[in-house]
Amino acid sequence: MAVAIRAKARSRRARGPAEGPRGGGQPRGASWASRDRAAAAGLLAPNLIVYTVFIVIPVLLALGLSFTSWNLVGAPQWVGLANYRAMVNDPAVPQAIETTMIFLVFGVVPTVILGLLLAMLVNVQFRFIGVVRTLYFVPAVVSFAASAILWQWIYRPGQGLLDFALKKVGIDGPAWLSNTHTALIALDIIAIWLSLPTAILLYLAALQRIPQHVIEAAMLDGAGPLTRLRKIIWPGVRNMTILVVIVAIIAFTNSSFDLVNILTQGGPVDATSTLIYYIYYTAFNNIQLGYAATLSVLQLALFAAILGLLALARGLAR
Amino acid sequence: MMTVNSRVRRIIRITVIVIVGLILAFPLIYLVFGSLMSDSQLTSFPPAFIPTSIHLGNYSQAWNYMKGRSVLNSVIFTAVTVGLQWMLCISGGFVLAKLRFRSSNAVTALLAISLFIPAITTLVPTFIVTEKLHMVNTYEGLILPIVAQTGFGTLLFRQYLVSLPGELIDAARVDGSGWFHILRRLIIPLAVPATGAYVAISVLTAWNLYLWPLVVATSPNVQVMTETLAPLASSEFGQIPENVAFAATALTTLPMVVAFLLAQRAFVRGLSGSGVE
Repeated sequence: MAVAIRAKARSRRARGPAEGPRGGGQPRGASWASRDRAAAAGLLAPNLIVYTVFIVIPVLLALGLSFTSWNLVGAPQWVGLANYRAMVNDPAVPQAIETTMIFLVFGVVPTVILGLLLAMLVNVQFRFIGVVRTLYFVPAVVSFAASAILWQWIYRPGQGLLDFALKKVGIDGPAWLSNTHTALIALDIIAIWLSLPTAILLYLAALQRIPQHVIEAAMLDGAGPLTRLRKIIWPGVRNMTILVVIVAIIAFTNSSFDLVNILTQGGPVDATSTLIYYIYYTAFNNIQLGYAATLSVLQLALFAAILGLLALARGLAR
Repeated sequence: MMTVNSRVRRIIRITVIVIVGLILAFPLIYLVFGSLMSDSQLTSFPPAFIPTSIHLGNYSQAWNYMKGRSVLNSVIFTAVTVGLQWMLCISGGFVLAKLRFRSSNAVTALLAISLFIPAITTLVPTFIVTEKLHMVNTYEGLILPIVAQTGFGTLLFRQYLVSLPGELIDAARVDGSGWFHILRRLIIPLAVPATGAYVAISVLTAWNLYLWPLVVATSPNVQVMTETLAPLASSEFGQIPENVAFAATALTTLPMVVAFLLAQRAFVRGLSGSGVE
């Protein structure tokens, strides 16, 4: 979402200074300036104070704690780089990174592809299209906790809806959530279901900017669906795709804790132990706050690296 | 003119759209049906789809299981969090959009960075700060650290207000109105669409929040609904019948579904981040 705002800010700027920010605050006499500053302080300060106490300080504290050993009792012990050395030698770390990456890739890629296809599908006008689109958007309001309850019922071995459907075509479904090969993918499917509405919404916004007559003209010229997708649709949604990917990555990063903690607790046999879940476990089960902070720094670095690469891709794409 | 062929294709396409939509919404539709079934019907195999008899008692049992208290706590948490954060965001966004001061861009950047920090990074230290302030297992501890996540809202309001014509504000200033007066009389009424998008998204986020309450609100008198609901998903959890678990899930989910249906425009704007228009 945030990125959407920034993207918009950029496009607004690109349109030229005439439409740019030109508030009442801009051209003004010096006598107002000091009153401005006082007002700015008064109106902005409460916001920045809570932001500093609960966001800025914790981020700095996380960095500091990563060099300490602490179990909440007494004062944190300075241990220098010991946590970082432990992290490098901890076999659970590369495994957690791998699990997180698999979860992200098998979640984000289908979300993006299905999001585009479904947005193309519903990009049509008829009388009740608004009502019908609601069916596509409404899963967005479901919490992780509620969706976990719904889906564990769908996944229930031998009894659930999924196995029922598979039995119709002669397949015996696995125990989706307690099988090491399927548990992570089963969680991904839930997260995809929750993320699709936003992806469809964003793509729909981009598609509606492509004039219908352009598509119709292409059809008259005999362009097939694939040619239309490649020559007309894709150029229209290319920039939006990077935004959809970023939004999906943020959503899947959050779900990689909530769904795991509610449905599988990292199991079976660590098959769903994502990095975020491992951090939570280290902090609140093992009460190793210093080491958990070190892992948080790693998580932040990975997250920043992924988003940085995407920002770079976005820059290259335009 | 529409040929017969294209009309047939249109009908096929609309049919596909409706069927796919029903599949996507199916878990929610089934949630409502299942919450009204008897336990034996809900757990029967092959699965039953339409309730043969209506069991509204599931909902009162669900209410008892949730202890009502967690439902109330969720309402308090959501209302107070969104209310407080809205005040901080609209006044902060207004300052960043319309007042000129030296560090304005730096502050905007500082707020933007927070959008890219995963919640887990600050979880442990935020918990420590909250603990040092003696706010663990209190409403303040539950609410304030979430109120503090002002990045998204402040930038949303800033973006919306930046495009507002400055003449209006200039006129008010020539009249000698103070900034606070301008905020209350001019900015807040003008920013109603942005407020709509902001409130839709923030209410949704707060209502569904799980990780922070899980860590900071462990005692039953401050627990919120996601915390009392989540254990029902565990397969070993056999404390209450399946149909009551469905009713409990519906109890927490349907208010948001209704809000979505009533204010779809605001939700759509908020979800796509285009509340700025």
